[in-house]
Amino acid sequence: TMEPLKVHIQFGGGAELLFDKIKRREVELPALKKYYPDCKHEKWLIKDLLVWIKDNLLKERPELFLQGDSVRPGILVLINDADWELYGELDYELQQNDTIMFISTLHGG
Amino acid sequence: MDDIDRLEKEILVLRETLRRKEKEIFEIKKEFMPKLPSKVEKEIVNQNECAKNVVKISEKLPKWAIERYSRQILLPEIGVKGQEKLMGAKVLVVGAGGLGCPAAVYLAGAGVGEIGIVDYDQVDLTNIHRQILHSEADQNVSKAQSAADSLRSINSKIKLTPYNIELNPSNALEISANYDVILDCTDNVPTRYMLNDVSVLNKMPLISGSALKMEGQLTIYGYRAKTNQNDKGYKYIGPCYRCVFPTPPPPEAVGSCSADGVAGPIPGVIGTLQALETIKLIVGQTHDNLLVGRLLLFDGEDMSFRNVKLRPRNPECEICSESPKITKLLNYEVVCRMQSKEKDLDLDILPPKNRITAMKLAEALKATNKHLLVDVRSEHEFEMCKLDGAVNYPLEKLHRSNIDLLLKDIRDCCCRVTFICRRGNDSQIAVKRVLDVIEDEYKDKITDLTGGLHAWSKYVDGEFPVY
Ligand SMILES: [Zn+2]
Repeated sequence: TMEPLKVHIQFGGGAELLFDKIKRREVELPALKKYYPDCKHEKWLIKDLLVWIKDNLLKERPELFLQGDSVRPGILVLINDADWELYGELDYELQQNDTIMFISTLHGG
Repeated sequence: MDDIDRLEKEILVLRETLRRKEKEIFEIKKEFMPKLPSKVEKEIVNQNECAKNVVKISEKLPKWAIERYSRQILLPEIGVKGQEKLMGAKVLVVGAGGLGCPAAVYLAGAGVGEIGIVDYDQVDLTNIHRQILHSEADQNVSKAQSAADSLRSINSKIKLTPYNIELNPSNALEISANYDVILDCTDNVPTRYMLNDVSVLNKMPLISGSALKMEGQLTIYGYRAKTNQNDKGYKYIGPCYRCVFPTPPPPEAVGSCSADGVAGPIPGVIGTLQALETIKLIVGQTHDNLLVGRLLLFDGEDMSFRNVKLRPRNPECEICSESPKITKLLNYEVVCRMQSKEKDLDLDILPPKNRITAMKLAEALKATNKHLLVDVRSEHEFEMCKLDGAVNYPLEKLHRSNIDLLLKDIRDCCCRVTFICRRGNDSQIAVKRVLDVIEDEYKDKITDLTGGLHAWSKYVDGEFPVY
């Protein structure tokens, strides 16, 4: 089972501005051990994905997306249209074809 | 021109007279209105206190109400009982802007017995593309008043209370205690946290909408099954805003309609759906049919509506848990490190020698064409209107390689350099960023245009658009 892990990454509510204004992407993740040789676990977790996004997609101002090892306050992370808190947040193990969405909350009116 | 002035003044006087006469006739008509609303409301409260009681309707709807509201009474979801509840309901709409206007229109149309509408601001021409209760003639009139006047012309049978004030921690609990439901139709983070806390402390649901650019979001916070006799999950309480967003976002990550823009129909859609959820809530729909514990995401760019599941109420929540840390309203501008009124934001972070007034800049530009003008607004705004010869370095992109290009431009310029933005805040931030990295010898020739292009339009060139 060394096939690459395909996940859909989506941004909205303004979070896409940090990613070349592209709202939907499909990415293929290599085997985790290949990408992070020192990693203690085998499967991709969301926390690994955040680092991958920072290294590969995030061009400017990482502080507007990340804080510590998680996302900054005001960004809601959704795993297949459900709040990531329902799935263990950072420790959720990515599955083939998952859709991970990062939505910045809006405040205008 | 004199004629126009004279006529405008006459119209203002006539408008005021009209307002007075409408109020007069409303007071007279009120005598003949059914006394139904307050009674029904009390009964609903009683029923909710002891949910097992059999529903008892004290009075049937009067003829006028049946006729007037027949199209919605025909719906089994509303019916006669629902209409009675609507007529007995009191709703507080906070914000008479892009969300509040459409929301209030449908609530007034539906015959919601009492609508309070809060806004401290006045109508501005730039509001009208989305704030549908205000018209050209309402410019500079209080938004709360203008909205209430329009609503009265839509439905003269309901009570309307405009609050031309800023809702703040010293008045918010008291004002909202007169109502059953709050609609968050505001435009800033501190007020959103305050309304959440008001909703939890006063135990009333909060129908929260927001909109920016091409996107909108909608959900209901602080729902309590206890107050709904139809809801079997008697103890169920939905999440509050703090359950989902315990920490406010960093100020630099927050956008606004006046800075980032918004398409009029976006808040139109969200405000309209806020009204629908309010109506459903009032007539007693249960929480699985309401946007409770769910968030609606609307993206007008590709016309997608998405319904996502939110986390449940947090048993450790700072305000809505059984043992809350927060038991009274706070200073939300301090908590959120943000101001609620964007208009008051006036940065002053540069020494006087690095600042220039619009008049002085105009003189300098007359004397030489070598003066470098650096416009730090978005490409988009730059395209909309700009000063002759200005170059565009959007602040949002002023990092790394971009700033090196700019530094080179500044070093190469044999004359002075002035940074420009819309209102004179971003230009200061850009100058600060440059002063922090550029060699001392160039520092003295760098200035920012105080008050930005707004000042330019006011003091130098009245033809330059203010937006
Ligand atoms: Zn809570």
